[in-house]
Amino acid sequence: MGAVYLPSQFGGIFLPLANVQVKPGDKLRITCQYSHIGQADSQPLYAAIGNEGWAGFDEVLHGSKTINVPEDATWNYHEEYVDITITTAISAGFYDLYAKIGGTFPKVISPSLLDVVEVLAETPESEFGEISITDYAKV
Amino acid sequence: MAYYADIVEIIAPSEAKPGGRVDITVRIKNTYSSSVGIMAGGALECGVSPWPGISFPDPSANVDGGATHSFSGDFTMPDKRVTIHAYSYYYGSDGYWHFDDEMTRTINLAEEIESEFGSIAIISYQRR
Repeated sequence: MGAVYLPSQFGGIFLPLANVQVKPGDKLRITCQYSHIGQADSQPLYAAIGNEGWAGFDEVLHGSKTINVPEDATWNYHEEYVDITITTAISAGFYDLYAKIGGTFPKVISPSLLDVVEVLAETPESEFGEISITDYAKV
Repeated sequence: MAYYADIVEIIAPSEAKPGGRVDITVRIKNTYSSSVGIMAGGALECGVSPWPGISFPDPSANVDGGATHSFSGDFTMPDKRVTIHAYSYYYGSDGYWHFDDEMTRTINLAEEIESEFGSIAIISYQRR
């Protein structure tokens, strides 16, 4: 089970996060909290499923959308979500998550949450194997 | 020294953002003993000529003797510091408006803070 650290007026809290199971065809909605100050801004919110490694985050699937951030005269926290569509491009297994704001040069990157997404194998196509008569009676 | 229409004060913010609407109030006192027609006007000194005007939706009023009237106006803040020049006029017995008093007040350009993001954290995720 993963956990995320959230700053608060009491110094911060660890919020435990349970694993989530998904399969191809599902969408994974990832909600983020971020802090902002200054002029109103429009930036991409980006999240990815993949594997955190020594060389960085190896992304398998991602989602993004543009968020419109209001002007903040002081540091303010906002929440926003982004959806990732689960496709057959990802194989079954446990994966990590991370999110960022900004494009090629991110303005801020979240800590990675490890092994929080379990991708289940795709349910096989409908198929009939064999049939046999198990009974017969007058009705 | 004003004859009849003494500008008491200009109420305005000390700073404003470029392109934003700035609301001001010019308070003018009728120093005469009986009612006088008083009008407010204004212009902005900001490095361009002619000076842009200040809009006063209700620029004139009959003001009782000794009373002070507030005239509301507004303008769009330019991209530099601006000095408000407020003017007062009184309506003479000759049927003309006469310039009477002037007061100035400076409005600085508000510093704009660039957009900056401090942190981001994933707080939840769920299958949809």
